[in-house]
Parts: sequence; C-alpha cells; structure tokens
Amino acid sequence: MRGGQTAGFASNLRAIHDAPLALFSHVVIERDMRDLLRWPSFGGLCRAAMAALLILLALPSAAESPPGGTRGEQSGSELWRQIRQGQAFNLSGTTSGTPVLVQSEGAAWRALRNGPISTYGGWLLAAAAAGVGLFYVARGRIRLSRRSGRTLPRFTHAERAAHWFVAATFILLAASGLVILFGKYVLQPVIGVGAFAVVASAALQGHNLFGPLFAVGIVAMFVLYLKDNWPRAADVAWVLKGGMFFKGHVSSWKFNFGEKTWFWISSLGGFALAGSGLLLDFPWLAETVQQLQLAHIVHVIAALAVIAASLGHMYLGTIGVEGALEGMTTGRVDETWALEHHDLWAKDVIAAEAEKAKTTTPAPPFVPGRAPAE
Amino acid sequence: MDIIGFIEGPLWYFSATVFVAGALWRLAGILRFGRKPDLSVPRGSALAGAVRGFFLHFVPHGGFGRRTAFHLFAGYLFHIGLFALLFWAAPHVAFLEKRVLGFGWEPLPHWGFVIAAEAAFAGLILLWFRRISDPVLRTISDADDHIGSWLTFIVMLTGCLALQESHAELRALHMLTVELWLIYFPFSRLMHAVTFVFSRSYTGATYGRRGVTP
Amino acid sequence: MTSVRPEAKSASAAVEKFLALTDAAVASYLEACVHCGECAEACHFYLVTEDPRYTPTHKLRPMARAYRRHKAPFAPLKRALGLAPSEVTEAELEEWAPLVYDSCTLCGRCTVVCPMGIDIAGAIRKMREGMTAGGFAPADLYKAADLAIATGSPLGVREKALRKTIEIQEKKTGIPVPLDRKGADYLVILSAMEIVGFPGTIGALAKLFRQAGISWTISTKTFEATNVGIQMGSREVAATLVGRIVAVAEELGVKYVISPECGHAYGALKWEGPNLIGRAYAFEVVHIVELLARLLKEGRIRARGRDPRRLTFHDPCQLVRRGGLVEEPRAVLQAVAPDFVEMKNAGPWNVCCGGGGGVSTNSRAEPLRLAAFRCKKDQIDELGGIEAMVTACANCRNVMEEAIEHYGMDLPIVGLGELLADYLEPSA
Repeated sequence: MRGGQTAGFASNLRAIHDAPLALFSHVVIERDMRDLLRWPSFGGLCRAAMAALLILLALPSAAESPPGGTRGEQSGSELWRQIRQGQAFNLSGTTSGTPVLVQSEGAAWRALRNGPISTYGGWLLAAAAAGVGLFYVARGRIRLSRRSGRTLPRFTHAERAAHWFVAATFILLAASGLVILFGKYVLQPVIGVGAFAVVASAALQGHNLFGPLFAVGIVAMFVLYLKDNWPRAADVAWVLKGGMFFKGHVSSWKFNFGEKTWFWISSLGGFALAGSGLLLDFPWLAETVQQLQLAHIVHVIAALAVIAASLGHMYLGTIGVEGALEGMTTGRVDETWALEHHDLWAKDVIAAEAEKAKTTTPAPPFVPGRAPAE
Repeated sequence: MDIIGFIEGPLWYFSATVFVAGALWRLAGILRFGRKPDLSVPRGSALAGAVRGFFLHFVPHGGFGRRTAFHLFAGYLFHIGLFALLFWAAPHVAFLEKRVLGFGWEPLPHWGFVIAAEAAFAGLILLWFRRISDPVLRTISDADDHIGSWLTFIVMLTGCLALQESHAELRALHMLTVELWLIYFPFSRLMHAVTFVFSRSYTGATYGRRGVTP
Repeated sequence: MTSVRPEAKSASAAVEKFLALTDAAVASYLEACVHCGECAEACHFYLVTEDPRYTPTHKLRPMARAYRRHKAPFAPLKRALGLAPSEVTEAELEEWAPLVYDSCTLCGRCTVVCPMGIDIAGAIRKMREGMTAGGFAPADLYKAADLAIATGSPLGVREKALRKTIEIQEKKTGIPVPLDRKGADYLVILSAMEIVGFPGTIGALAKLFRQAGISWTISTKTFEATNVGIQMGSREVAATLVGRIVAVAEELGVKYVISPECGHAYGALKWEGPNLIGRAYAFEVVHIVELLARLLKEGRIRARGRDPRRLTFHDPCQLVRRGGLVEEPRAVLQAVAPDFVEMKNAGPWNVCCGGGGGVSTNSRAEPLRLAAFRCKKDQIDELGGIEAMVTACANCRNVMEEAIEHYGMDLPIVGLGELLADYLEPSA
C-alpha cells in the first residue's frame, strides 16, 4: 500500500505541515527515513533521527484532517483496522526485530502530549512564574545588611565552570524545547505556518545537539556539588523555622534546605532529561517506538518540572538575594553574606582561611609605577 | 534577487575575497618587516630549531601539563571539533566540492559529526567561561577576544540549527554568519590560525641557532 | 659627561624606539598572542603573588597597542575608522615600568608554556629599549649604565681593585695570573660580581688553566663582562660595552674570549654582540663552562675524587634556556659529583633565581625578588636533603645567597668552576 500513498509527499517539515493527510505522514516519513538512511551523507542518519522525532512531536494539523482516503486507494478506517491488527511498518530508527511505527498507542500518546501535558504544563510554568512574583511582592529583595569588604571563597573554578556550562546549555535547551512543545500554540498563530516550520526545525536541531552537552554537564555538576547537598540535621531546623519565608536568618551549612531541594530536583530531573533525551536523540538506542513515546513523556514532564523550579533558582540567585550572584561569578562572597545566610559553613571557612594565612607569607604588594627617584 | 540569493551569491564572493585578500595582505605586511641577518656564530641549526619549535608547542612540555590542563583540554576539544566540522561535515564537503574546489572527499558519518559538534561547542563554552572568570584572562582580554569567540559560536550554532538541511532560510542564516566571520577574520585575532606558524618558527629559529629549543 | 637617561620623559620616544626594533619576528609575536594567559603559569612573579598584572603578555600591552595603532598591516585603515587603540601615554608607561623591569627577569620561561611559541622575554627586551629611550627605566639602572660607561664596571670596580683582588688570589694559589699579555690564546673577562663577591673564581681559573696548559690573560684595561645595556635595554650602551671587549681582545690578538660564569654577559657577547657592533669578531667567544667541559673531555683537565655532598644544579636562564648550554654544565658536574640530583624540570625549563635581567640591580624590586625566590625554594625543598647548590652565574649566586639568608635556609652555593678546581688531580 505504501508506494501509491506516499510517493507524492516530500520529506521536509513544510510538506508535513502542508499535507492534508497528516496521519499518513507517519507512513510518509517512515518511507522517507528509509530513503534517507540509504544516503551516503551524514545528513541521512541525522535527518532520519530528526524525522522520527518530528513524527512524535510536530504534527499540528493531524487532528483537524480526516485520516486517509483522499487519494481513493484506501479508507482511513481500513488503515486503522490494519494498524490495530498489528500490521508492521518498518521503522529504521529503532532496533527491534519487528519495528512498529504506525500504531494506535501513538494516538494515545499524542493525545496525552497535546492534551493534558501541554495544558497542565503551561499552567505549571505560569504558576511558577506567578509564585516568584508573589514571593518578590511578599518578601522583597533580601538585602545584605552591610558589606564587610572581606570575602570568602564559595565556589571553586571547576564548580563555577560546571555551573555555567550547565546553565548555558540549559537555557538553550529550555528555549528550544519550549518552542517545540508550545510553539504551535504560541508562535505559529503569530508568525505563520511556514515561518514556524523553519523555527521548529532550527529549535529541534539545536535541541538535539546541545542535549548531550547538558547530559555531560549535569553529571559533572552532580559529582562536584553532591557532598555539600547531602541532608544534615540543620535542614530539619531550617524547615521547621520556615526557611526563607520569614524575615531573619536560619542557620545553615553551605547550602540550605531550599537550595538542596533545587539541587536534587535539578539533578534527578536532569538525569531523567538526559536519559530520556538520549533515546530521543539517538532512536536506535531504543528497541520500540513505544519506548520512545514513554521517553518523550518522561522528558516533557521532567523538563517542565525543572524549568518551573529553575525560575525560582534564577530569581534567588540574581535579584532575589543581594550578594549571592558574585559567589558564582567571582567565586567569592562577602563575609557578611556568608554569615547571614550560611553561618555554620561561614564559620568553618573563616577558620580555615585564618589557618591558611598563618602558614603563607603574603606576597609584597604591587608597587605602582612612579618616576625614578632623582 | 531575493535576500537568500544575495547571501549565497554576491555576498559569499565578496566575503571570500575579503578573507583571502585580507589575510594575505596582513601576512605579507608582517613578513615585510623582515629580520636583520644574525651575525653571531651559531651553535645549532636555525631551520631545525624552527621545525622543532613549531611541533614542540603543540604538546605541553616543561612541566606545565597540570597547571594548564583546563586550557589544554578545552583548547584541543574546541579546535579538533571545529576542524573536523569545518572540513569533514557532509554539507561542507559538498559545498567545497561544488562551489570552491571542484573535488570532494569522504565526509564524517553522522555519529562523527555529532561528536565533533559536541566537542567544539563544549570546548568553546569552556574557553569562554575561562576568559570571563579567570582573573588573568579578565585582565588581558579585550573586545576582539570576545567578538571572535562569540562570532565563532554563532557560526557553529547557526550551522547546527540548519542541520535538517530542509530550509533555505536556515542555510542562508548560517551562510550569513559565516560571511561575517570571514570578513572579520583578517582584521582580528582570528588570524592566529595563520600567525602561530610564524611566532613559533621565529622563536624556534632564534633558539635553534643557540642550540636549544625551549 | 652626559647621562644615559634622557632629559625628559617621552612616551612617543619610547614607542618610536620600540617600533623601530619591531621586526617580522616581534610583529608575529604581537599578532599571534590569543590572550590565553598560560604564560602567567610560567612566571615566578605571578606564581608567588597571583596578581594578574604580572602575566607576561600583559607586560607587553602598551607596546602591543602602539604596534596595532602605528605599525600593524591594517593600522592606517583602523585609525581612519577610529578602531585603532589610543595613543600610549606617559602615565601608562610609568605604570608599566615596574611590570617591565621589576617583575621580569627576561628568563624566558613563558616561552616554554606559550602555545604560540612567543618569545615574550625577547619582546620585553625590545620593549625595554623603548622604555630606556623614553626615560622610563628604573633610576638604579640608569645609574649603573652611567657608571659602566664611565668606569667600565656597573659596580664601579676599577683597575686598582682588580689588581688587589688578583694579588690576593695569586698568593692563595701560588699561581701567577698573566695580565695584559699579548698573543695569549684566551682572554678572560670577569663579572663585576665575581671580583667583588666571589674572587675565588679567579684563583680557580688559574688552577684549572695551569693543569690544562692554556695560555691566557686578563686585561687590566677592559675586564668587565657584564653589560647593563642588555639588561636595561639600551643598544647604545650595550654596543659601547661590547665594543670595548672586542677592541682589547683584538688588540691583544687572542683567539678566544672566555665568557665568565654570568648569564646575560654570555648572551651579550656571544649572541647580541656581533649584531650590536655590526660585524663578526676576529676571535671566538667561548663560555667557561663550555670550555671546561671540552677540556675535561679531551683529558686536559683531570678531576680526582668526588664531592660527597648531595648537590643540585641551578640552571642560569641565559646560559641554559636562552644560551643553549644544557649538557655542558652537567658534563662538568658528572666529573666531580656523579650522583648530583636534578631539580624537577631542570635544564631548559628550570625556574629563575628571581634576580636576572637587571632585577637584582634595581633596589625598588627587592621585596618582589625575594618573594619570587619561593618558586626556586619549592624546587629545592621538593628534592629534600640538598647540602649544596651549584650554579654557573655569579648574579644567580648572589641573588640566591641573599634569598637563602632571607628565608633562613642553610644552603651553600658553589660556582661550577670553583667546584671543579677543588677536585683537580694534583700536579706532579
């Protein structure tokens, strides 16, 4: 059946979007993928992977169009019957012996993705943003009482490198990911179908390329930051006293309970994103397309959770808490900041610094240039 | 002519001309200063020193491996990834074959492309992070350093955004950034891709005559 | 007599002089630097202070800017478009003077680490030419230059003092030192520091040369090997001082001039000298360590016994990394101390004493110089149990002896020639 139905379709995204028979584009792309895979160029494999993702992610016009039959060869209901009865279509993206791309679970998955996940996900992000705004209104900027002028080392060069590496890739991934997830609701109506096809293609390619970098970064970050994020007794007291939600400061080690929560959300969420993302990025790692669908659901849910939480982190790390950002940029924080926010840790560091100062002789100060003495 | 046609036609020829002519001009301008003949009696060969100096500085030596590990790792990661992409990415091979050289070669397979791209991005992000965070780098860096880094990053990024090879708009966007990069190259520190040969060789030759290559 | 120091300071004079000396090599150095900052890791002044201003390439900055404004290939275009760096100012060069003079010993270790292979020390050597011409060099160096021009020695050592020192050594060793002898094969010149601080060197040479059967002489007219012109960056002063040695050597008709145990004096006479005076010499320049290694190999000097102490060798930068004498001092050491231990990264990669390149002459730099010795100290401490350190440069020796005292260490320093002279086979 494939030949007659699919011959007229082009392989690119725009054709998919333009196709009135979007359901059939499952088949179309499957065929195209086989063609692409035969290409000697790198682009073939790459496009095949992308195409597989596109099938999973970007079929905006599918819901509106009646399935099948417009060319007169086969009715939509007959096609679906074959599918339900387990008609196999070769999918070269995954490795199982009888790969199935066109399958009815796909419809269920798509309904979930385009329905509750998109809807509640959107609400979650809106709620997180509103929460940050509300916190700002209620608590205001948490100011530093005064600057001591002395600084303490807070983050090593490696810790900062890992953080900014993850931050950079996360922002690129979050932006492109949100385009992929919400673009057709938010962007497409504004910029049009054709332009959105271009943006979606770019977002997808960028997303796929930066994903593995994030995966490496999040593992490095986890290793570097784990020891200070292990739960300690002080965390209980911090929670009982209401943490940062009230005026005044609660005792804490290097990271308070709130920061530790962010660490674990971002790490575990990051691992889920990385693991599921690798399957989506390299579909041949998966056996069946159902695994890809599951990976995708995990990916979207984890992404929404981490993005929502990251709004809080970004707020508190920049404007929310005065004096916090410099720790991550210069590696050092003001002593007052350290004592006010992380007293237990600060006392340790101050003692260690004093010990270090005892054993090292300070280098002579820089002598600025001056006229040679007459 | 539409804008895509302009980017892929006249602007390409213009930028390629600026790149080649500018780089040659700058190189000739440097070499034109010449060197006075050295009248001292040599203890070794200047030529051997130049060759040795050129290759020696590809590898860490002199016991600095540990202290320079970050830069060494990120630097090689970026440069190897970049060169693999530049000369072995399939669209680049096809482009060079069709538009520049008239012959092609076996491009990287897809997995090779992905690894090269990840390496190049990771290396460049790490190098730039070091530039903005390390006190030494902050002291010595100037606008040119940042513009060069960002321009290269954007060129790589737009290249990857166009990876689906399905949209002329994305391909043209990549071309446009490449053209900006090519025009910027001869006037900037990106020229280090050429001048490093001379700095290493001059030093190698100077000390080769003295019987040592530091 | 006029002073080497110009009457008024002038940034434009400094820039002009530097740019005149910017050949294709220096231009390619300034062009190739990608501001990677690795050179900081090689600089002992940065390592002990962690002050980013001591990053070697940063020390070149004003001249790099002047080059981009005035001399680089696209300079006129960039000036026309307002994209060229601004003019170098007097205040800027004032600020940079300590970076160029106090915190650089021209040791050249930064070249080793530079991925672009840039000879930063060589470029700073040329920057100093500009600084001196513009009046920005340290007062002590101008003073030393004036003294060297007037008396022949930067420390003001005159013929009378030399004769007195030689007399004492003759008495000690019982060997006469031939003075002003025409037709001798070898002319010995000395570093002022040897005459003043380590006169034993002269006696050692007498012993060594007697065994080797060498015909040699010292000129009472020109006996100074050190060259403050090279250190401060004054080609004129340097050429004058080299010219004096060349004149006396050619007048006496010697075949060889022996460069003494002094780092920069070797580079001044051997590598820069012919280019400074604009012609090749009628004699050959040989370094004392090179000569001793050769005589040992030929069997003309025979060592007996060995030094029982645990020894290590400090490589003087200008002899080893920038002079090419890597194997020779080791061959000499092997003859009398076969078990001497090498420091980590010894040879062309060794750490500087902290006082080369005129830094030890510059009193303003003293605290920094003593601090910088910590890098050397770390190298020594790492070996553990070192009982004496051998070197082949009187300036290194003097600088390190001061620093060793400053750090309360107990470590004698021995000149390489003296060490060998102590273990000579007794003459029959």
